[in-house]
Amino acid sequence: MQQTKGLALEIRLSAYIDGELPEVERSELDALLSRDDNARALLERLRAGGTFGNKAFEDFLHDPVPLALVRQIKQGPGITPRFERVATANLPRRNTRIWPRLAAASLVLLFLGGASGFILGSRIDTPVLAPEAAEGPWIQEIADYHRIYARQKQHLVEVPASQAAEIESWLTSSVGVAFKIPDLSRRGLTFEGARLLVANGKPVGQLVYRDSDSNIFAICFLKKGSGEQPDQFSETIRGDLSLVSWEKENASFVVVGPSSDPALQDIAHAVAAVI
Amino acid sequence: MRPAADMKDFRRDLVGLLPKLRRFAMTLTRDATDADDLVQEACERAITRSHLWNGEGRLESWVYAMTRNLWVDEVRKRKVRGGGSMAEIFDQDEPSIEASGERAVYANQLQKMILSMPEGLASAFLLVNIEGHSYRETAEILGIPIGTVMSRLSTARLRLAAMLSEDAERRA
Repeated sequence: MQQTKGLALEIRLSAYIDGELPEVERSELDALLSRDDNARALLERLRAGGTFGNKAFEDFLHDPVPLALVRQIKQGPGITPRFERVATANLPRRNTRIWPRLAAASLVLLFLGGASGFILGSRIDTPVLAPEAAEGPWIQEIADYHRIYARQKQHLVEVPASQAAEIESWLTSSVGVAFKIPDLSRRGLTFEGARLLVANGKPVGQLVYRDSDSNIFAICFLKKGSGEQPDQFSETIRGDLSLVSWEKENASFVVVGPSSDPALQDIAHAVAAVI
Repeated sequence: MRPAADMKDFRRDLVGLLPKLRRFAMTLTRDATDADDLVQEACERAITRSHLWNGEGRLESWVYAMTRNLWVDEVRKRKVRGGGSMAEIFDQDEPSIEASGERAVYANQLQKMILSMPEGLASAFLLVNIEGHSYRETAEILGIPIGTVMSRLSTARLRLAAMLSEDAERRA
C-alpha cells in the first residue's frame, strides 16, 4: 500500500482506483468524494480514461506475432527471424533473362533422370521405410489439406457436429480406426464436424474444431501397421501450421493447428488420452 | 542446466507470452519493426538465461524487465551513434503501426493515439491498468521509483480521457 498524502489529487484518486491505498487514506477519499463534485468528476475522468485505454490495448493482442520467432522459440536456435523478415522484404525481382531458365530446365532434366533411376532401382530392391521417413509425406499432405479446408467458411466439414454418432460409425468403418470424438470444449475448442481425406493412399479421418478466434484445429488419423513408438509425441512446424503426431494401437494421429498456439502439445496429449 | 522437459515448458510459456510481450515492446519502442526486433532479442536472451528463472512469480515480469533493459541499451546505442538526446530518440513524430489487410482503421487510430503519449506513460498504464501488476512490480519492471509509476498512471489516464473526448467529438 502506498502513502499518497500530500500528492496531487489525481495521483491519489488513480491509486484509489487501483486499490493501492491504505485503508485510512481510502476512507479519507471516500469522504471527499461524497461531498466534492469536482473530486467525483475527476475520478470519473480517470476511470473513463482507463476504460478507453483498455479497448485500444486489447487490439494490440490481435496483431500477428512473427511466425519465424515462434518457430525459433519452439525448436531452438538455427533460425534467424530477423534475417528472414529482412530477406523477405528485400527480395530482388527475379531476373527474367534466358540463361536462368535454361539452368532451371537443366535441373528439371537432372531431377527427372534421378527420379527415373530411383524408380527403376526401387523395383529391384524396395527398401523398408523407417517410421520417420514414412511419416513425412502424410504429415505434409495433412498440412496441405488443412490450409485449404481451414479457409472454407460455408463448407468447412462434410458431416456436421450435430451428427456425431454418424461421424463415429462412418469414419470408423472408412478408416478402420475405432475412436470417440474428443470433447475439447474445456480447451476452448468447439467441434464443427468431420471430413474423410486421403493421404499416403490411405483413408484419413479428420475431426475439425474451431476456437473463439475462429482458428481451425483438426485431429487426423489413419490406420497404420507398425504401431511403433507408442506415446511418443513429435511436433513439426510447417510454416503457419504446427502438427503434433503420435501413434497408438496401430493408428497414426496428428493434431494440426496454428503454429503460434503454445498449447498444441497439451491439446494433443488430451486427445491421445480420450480418442 | 535446465532439464529438457522444463526447457520445453519454458519455451511453450514464452510462445504463449508473445502477443503480450509484443504489446509491451510496442509501448517502449512505439514502432512495430523495432518492437519485433526487441521481442526477438528478449526471447533469445530469456532462453539463454532460462536457468536463472526460478519459476516463482510471473514469467512475464521477468521477461518484461529483460525487454525494458534491452531497450534502454538500444536507445543508448542509438544516442551514441546518432548524437541525439534520449528525449529526441523517444520523441518520434508518429508511432509506426502496420495496419494489415482488413484491420479496422479505427483500431489502428486508437493504437496510434495510445502510443503517441509521452514516453513511459503507455508502459505504466499497460502494466497496471491492463495487466494488473502492482505498483511495486511495475516499478521493478520499468526500473523507476513507485512515485513515478503513480504519477505516470494518473497522467496517462487523464490523457486518455482527453483523447476519448476528442475522439467522441471527431466521430460526432
